[in-house]
Amino acid sequence: MTAITSAPTPWWRSRGVRRFARHRLALVGMVMITGLTLACVVGPHLLPYDALYVDLRARFSPPLTGDHYLGTDPLGRDLAARLLMAGRISLLVGFAAMLLSTLIGAVVGIVAGYRGGWLGASLMRVVDAFLAFPSIFLLLALAALLKPSPFVITVIIALTSWMEIARIVEAEVRSLRERDFVQAGRMLGLSSAHIMFRELLPNVVGPIVVAATLTVARAILLEAYVSFLGYGIQPPLPSWGNMLNGAQQYLASAPWLAIVPGIAITIAVTSFNFIGDGLRDALDVRSNEHT
Amino acid sequence: MTGSSLSALTLTRRRALGLLGAAGATGLLAPNLLGKPAFAAPPASPSGQIIVGFSQEPTVFNPLMPRIEVDDGVHFSLFDALFRIDPEGQIQPALAAEVPTIDNGGISEDGLEWRIKLRDDVTWHDGAPFTAEDVKFTLELVVDPNFRSWRTAGHDLVRDITVVSPTELTWRMETAFSPYISILCETFIVPKHILEPEPDRNTAAFNHAPIGTGPFKWSNRIAGDHLELVANTDYYGEGPYVERLVYKYIPDLTVLYTQFKSGDVDIVGNQYITPDNFEEAKSLPGKVVKVVPTATVESLYLNMGRPQFQDPAVRQALYAALDKQTILDVLYYGLPSTTETYMPQQSYYYNPNLPEHEFNLERARELLDAAGWAPGADGIREKDGVRLSFTNSTTSGNHLREQAQQFLQQTFREIGVEMTISNLPPAVMWGEFWTQSQFDSVMVGVVFMVGGDPDVTSRFHSGAIPIQGGRGANNNQYVNPEVDALLEEGTRTFDPEARREIYWKVQEKIREDLPLLPIFQYTTVRGYKEGLEGIEPNINTRIDTWHAAAYYWDE
Amino acid sequence: MFGYLLTRLWQSIILLVLVSIIGFAILNLTPGGPLSQFALTPGMTQEAMDRIAEQMGLNRPLPVQYLDWAWRLVQGDWGTSYRDGQPVLSVIGRHLFATLLLMGSSTVISIALGTWIGIRGATHRYSLFDYSATIGAMVALSIPTFWFGLVGIYIFSLKLGWVPAGNMYTIGDGSVLNYLHHLILPSIVLSLVNVAIWSRYMRTATLDVINQDFVKTARAKGLRERRVLMKHVVGNALLPMITLAGMQLPTLLSGALVTETVFTWPGMGRLFLDSLGYSDYPVVMGLLMFSAILVLLGNLIADLVVAAVDPRIRLG
Repeated sequence: MTAITSAPTPWWRSRGVRRFARHRLALVGMVMITGLTLACVVGPHLLPYDALYVDLRARFSPPLTGDHYLGTDPLGRDLAARLLMAGRISLLVGFAAMLLSTLIGAVVGIVAGYRGGWLGASLMRVVDAFLAFPSIFLLLALAALLKPSPFVITVIIALTSWMEIARIVEAEVRSLRERDFVQAGRMLGLSSAHIMFRELLPNVVGPIVVAATLTVARAILLEAYVSFLGYGIQPPLPSWGNMLNGAQQYLASAPWLAIVPGIAITIAVTSFNFIGDGLRDALDVRSNEHT
Repeated sequence: MTGSSLSALTLTRRRALGLLGAAGATGLLAPNLLGKPAFAAPPASPSGQIIVGFSQEPTVFNPLMPRIEVDDGVHFSLFDALFRIDPEGQIQPALAAEVPTIDNGGISEDGLEWRIKLRDDVTWHDGAPFTAEDVKFTLELVVDPNFRSWRTAGHDLVRDITVVSPTELTWRMETAFSPYISILCETFIVPKHILEPEPDRNTAAFNHAPIGTGPFKWSNRIAGDHLELVANTDYYGEGPYVERLVYKYIPDLTVLYTQFKSGDVDIVGNQYITPDNFEEAKSLPGKVVKVVPTATVESLYLNMGRPQFQDPAVRQALYAALDKQTILDVLYYGLPSTTETYMPQQSYYYNPNLPEHEFNLERARELLDAAGWAPGADGIREKDGVRLSFTNSTTSGNHLREQAQQFLQQTFREIGVEMTISNLPPAVMWGEFWTQSQFDSVMVGVVFMVGGDPDVTSRFHSGAIPIQGGRGANNNQYVNPEVDALLEEGTRTFDPEARREIYWKVQEKIREDLPLLPIFQYTTVRGYKEGLEGIEPNINTRIDTWHAAAYYWDE
Repeated sequence: MFGYLLTRLWQSIILLVLVSIIGFAILNLTPGGPLSQFALTPGMTQEAMDRIAEQMGLNRPLPVQYLDWAWRLVQGDWGTSYRDGQPVLSVIGRHLFATLLLMGSSTVISIALGTWIGIRGATHRYSLFDYSATIGAMVALSIPTFWFGLVGIYIFSLKLGWVPAGNMYTIGDGSVLNYLHHLILPSIVLSLVNVAIWSRYMRTATLDVINQDFVKTARAKGLRERRVLMKHVVGNALLPMITLAGMQLPTLLSGALVTETVFTWPGMGRLFLDSLGYSDYPVVMGLLMFSAILVLLGNLIADLVVAAVDPRIRLG
């Protein structure tokens, strides 16, 4: 994130309108996600209702009735309060899963790329094996195996999303391995760990940051999928995904139950995707789009 | 069913009917009377087709193998048992010519010798005659250690099955066991001439193209979608009146209801119309929608092995803090009926004199105060180092129950009791977690009766606790020597009147001890197209299609 | 080439073994099991459950069960579904059609729409259309598919009543039109993400080709823009698209899972969820292997196509 603010402005003009537009999107993403995070942190304190307070007399109130800005759910709980509390969980799970998967992916990628040989090859086969699993299988099977608390869900999501980062980092590191500064480090007798994490790591931060941003987006979506299917975060703890679980049943009578959390998810995920895309350009990461 | 079995005035029937009076049966008779105007008459020969929608897929067609409700639904159309149980809870002969009793000599005075007389006019769907050999084969197959039998209880007491003639057989029971007749009502007879030659009955071709004696014959099945049965015109009993009976699998209750509305499904079968659709369903043109009680009782099921629940005051306080009426009225749209016992109210054995529950938070607090449970720093009560805190589990994805859970959680918090929710996917929930008593408490709907029989040994006898090496399903580890004694007496007793007295006492004890907090007895919202006749609910069977033979279109 | 294929094959087999061991372990370590669906049956006792478990061989040590399963698989026996006693392959086969129908029509929509958007975006670079397409694609990638499905059902099925809310066809009406009617909404919903991906790739691929010399030459020769596009650009850009199609194979199971759930579509995703719910291990393992094989096959095809198309890449 710092890259955006600290990047020197000149490229702004030099790379033309398209990039400008792109970064505007990234900025929009930044603003949206900051706003959303703030709302989730502060909002619940400002609303007159507790996210867990059950009031059966007020069940199924449509949005904008009384103090219920977004209406109420089947138990009469305030949807706005729940949405914001759910945001805390969903965003936290997204971030934490990103950190964990980035950590695993980066370490595996650097070690595999730098060491190469049988170690590198077998590490990358493990990556292949994980990729050969349909991630939804791993997610659901693991969620059934372990008790689905937010922590467990975070770990499970991380376990199914670190492979991309490992692949990217491995490829980058492999291409850097024979560069002069690495050779020099080796001749100076620096330890492998030093070379890998002090010399090589800074050179692959760009791709990692980009991949990490997109991983947050992916993690939020995955949480939503798993919780929607009932295998994820369990009630009464709200998450954006589990708010949608059960909403299909009330689609005809209380459509806001389905619409509201979905919009929140879309906004959050879009924001991260915008930011990631912007970062890709800003950090000059090799991308699919040639310019 | 009507009129088919009046000849069999058994002891059970005579006595029970006398005792039953008007009150006991109204709930069941009323819809029956409404559904059958006097002018309607079934057609002379089978015609037309009926589509029954199920939200689960029937997949087991060998009726002796482990099965779920919808499988039962299909078995009833394809097979017959020796007896069947009617909506009033009376046992009627089916393949048997009469119901054996001590009075008619079918069962010896000590309850050990049984003699069964069979009908002589029954043939299998392939034309082969049905004989006593088939019955003997079936009763031996269910206890064959190599066969994947769904239930051996009762059958394992049977010894020396002897075929006297093609229409008569006898056996001896190891011990007197009165519930066996009800178990026989759920034991469909399979053909010896088809299954005996099979080397492995678990994988026999029969299991996917069954041959029975029932009112309908197997036609074909598109797995994952539907199965089709056709009329058995040689059926010995009443019906069938429709040419084709289709069981359609619709894996979603909302879609099932939509298809009922649109007329794509003639009968909404298991799991019926969801309570939230009841209001709308009632006003649908051309549809008959009824509220039908079922034997399932919803309860907060407490694991008596947990220190929190060993104090009776805690269980009484929790019961007092249970706002049944709100759960019922608001979450379940007022459809189910409150209950104080595990026994369905329509049963002959239901005890109506149990103390009535009263929702009273003040009283709940008093009970806990008096028992020495004092609120700790966080407001949660504790006593002798035990926090009054427990988890509650149920199947994740059961929305109504999850809502009730969260509602209870809030009320319990008000009396200083912490209930945390920990729901699990079905396969996990009802695995060792349930059978090995690993839960604190569970929200669950259980059918405590087996068929129409009031025996609950496997649920409440101290010898039936699986985690203590028991052989039953007493998963909340309930122990009460008095109840043990009563239950043992009950299975030795054949006289319905005497049995009723015993099971009334059992219900009193359970209500007193509260190993489970009864919330309500389920009702289901059933619906079918106008013009469809012969549909009669039966609380003593697991599924509504127990007598599809009698269905017909009044056109 | 042959040596390369051999290596790949060998590696794939090791991967499959790995995947199957991990999958088998996760499934069998999960508490509960295939018998739990009978736990609430009236009259069901622990004794009966134990007996059935014994007969089904469920209480053997896990490695023994695994080896037994694997040995049968090697011999071509995928096992029998616990739930309906049918061979696993025929169970999968039955659901394959529904999924293929859904995925197929969604792929057609995605390719058609994605190609058009991508090419138009590339030829009209930085136009309003291009921007909208770019932003639209990113938003599309961010919308949870199942939620899009729910909203679709709400609008087009519940409010407007144009399309059915679920299922593959109406009972008793197996006509093509009826299938199509049911297919519209789910296949559009499923296309959302793919249109976004295809159009991005198509745009990039088209840009690549536009900047290549022979296209510039062709244009310089005065050929009309459209003909140049049709002849060279599309022709060349479609090859990478085939690669992408190969990579899409594996999503057959996971891609449609949530959509199938929302629309009660009787496909493989739905089967997977049901089987997982019932602990029908043979079917879950079958689906897992099936899908893993598709992943590996997809990767292989993609690599081979790239090698065939691009002479600079030599396999070996």
